[in-house]
Amino acid sequence: MTDVERLFRTYNAALVRYLTRRLGDRDWAEEVAQETFVRALRQPSIENERAWLFAVATNLVRDQARKDMRRRKHLALLAEQERETVVEPEETTLERAQEAAMARKAVDGLAERDRLALLMREEGLDYNEIAEALQLSAGSVGTTLSRARRRLVESYEALQKSREEREKNAAS
Amino acid sequence: MQHLDEGTIHSWLDGALSADEAARVEAHVKECPQCASGVAEARGFIAASSRILTALDHAPRGVVPIAAPKRRVDPLVWRVAATVLVVAAGTLVVLQNGTNKETLMSARAKIEQAPVVTEPTVAADEASPNTAVSDAPAIGLSRRAGTQSSRGDVDGRENKASAGGKSPQVGKTGGVSDYAGAATPTVPTIAAPMVTRSRLSDVAAMDAAAEREQLRVVGTPRRIGAKVTLYEVAPGDTVTLTESIPSYLSSIVVTGAAVAPTAQAAGAIQKSAAPSKARADAAANARESQTAGGVTAAAPAVSAPAPSAQTETANTLNTITWNDSVGNTLSLTGRMPQSRLQAIRIRIERERAAAAKKNP
Repeated sequence: MTDVERLFRTYNAALVRYLTRRLGDRDWAEEVAQETFVRALRQPSIENERAWLFAVATNLVRDQARKDMRRRKHLALLAEQERETVVEPEETTLERAQEAAMARKAVDGLAERDRLALLMREEGLDYNEIAEALQLSAGSVGTTLSRARRRLVESYEALQKSREEREKNAAS
Repeated sequence: MQHLDEGTIHSWLDGALSADEAARVEAHVKECPQCASGVAEARGFIAASSRILTALDHAPRGVVPIAAPKRRVDPLVWRVAATVLVVAAGTLVVLQNGTNKETLMSARAKIEQAPVVTEPTVAADEASPNTAVSDAPAIGLSRRAGTQSSRGDVDGRENKASAGGKSPQVGKTGGVSDYAGAATPTVPTIAAPMVTRSRLSDVAAMDAAAEREQLRVVGTPRRIGAKVTLYEVAPGDTVTLTESIPSYLSSIVVTGAAVAPTAQAAGAIQKSAAPSKARADAAANARESQTAGGVTAAAPAVSAPAPSAQTETANTLNTITWNDSVGNTLSLTGRMPQSRLQAIRIRIERERAAAAKKNP
């Protein structure tokens, strides 16, 4: 097994999940993950593999996002319109889709650094790796994560509450 | 020891503290109910945020759009073909009609004045403001052309307007485009506005308009011995594509009972029914000759395997039938002029070819 194969097998799933959560689009996430591994291939040696991969993926997203921000915005709008018009067949899908939409909104509401630190932590990166990938001091990762988690949960719960109220009003 | 800050509690729960620090935090939490509840809260946040993030894993695919299918034929080819057709049709109109010199002279003048120059730089979208002007009347006119064969009296009146070119309602330009509609019944969407304006940008605009109309499959009703596909070409406007295997059929599939009267027959009806005989005669003559011209000119415009038959029922369903490259007989039926059916057929063929290329 070559080095890049090992890297891919070890980190691809986590990286794609991280990017999917970050971007909200599986295809885009896979694309960025692949590009990340291509970059790794060109690298003569990587000291901390996981931190390096997550940092490169994060930067790729940032660069790409900057490059075609307008296109993405337009596409996101289209996707939203599509979601409004397309009714998926499964019964559980609606509930799940609503949860996903609320989660997306709550995650998007976080500050970029908080969001990335949280998503990396969810993929098992330790504080040193997160600090390295995001160029933070190791001591500030705990504060960053605690703030991210609290804000995420609070804003999700607020969304949940307002949805329940809407449903109650609709029912009465 | 002072109370633990939230960051430290999370660091501790995440196992990010050194052994010494962890031991100190643990000792404090045992003694301090306030910090113990802080730890409980932090555990809750950690678990909840993980759960929330899991909901993001069912992300949709394909937010990024698939590249638009490539056009099979260079649009320039269509533009040039359309130009040749229009010039040919216009010349025939002018040459074969001696009864309406005034109108036709103006049409000829317009053709000659209009710059018949290839404009490859004119993008389809830039030309789109013309679309509404050029496309709509063309369809209306060709529908009217269809009506004439069954309703001579109505037609007679219309002929007055178009033949005279002096009618206050229609006006001079209207008269000219009316003529184009009658002259080329199989391709009025191309020819009608072209005679009046004869600009290639119009063709580009119409091409673009046709592309914008989505060919949507709205149903595939079952039929024995044939594959039937319903396409929606415009809101509420559907056409039926029937694909038959040749062995099932001894002859061409023709839907619709009545066969269209010939141009001469139509002329005869018009003659008898027209309120003003002299004018109707002129119109009928004009139409006869133009129809002949139109058919001749229309043939190259189709630019596909030669249609095996064309049958038009007056004012109702029209059907065009042809054979594809593998010998299947296909027919396309819809409540619209044959010209439009031909245009749709070309698009269907294009799409089918593209689909076939994708999934051989």
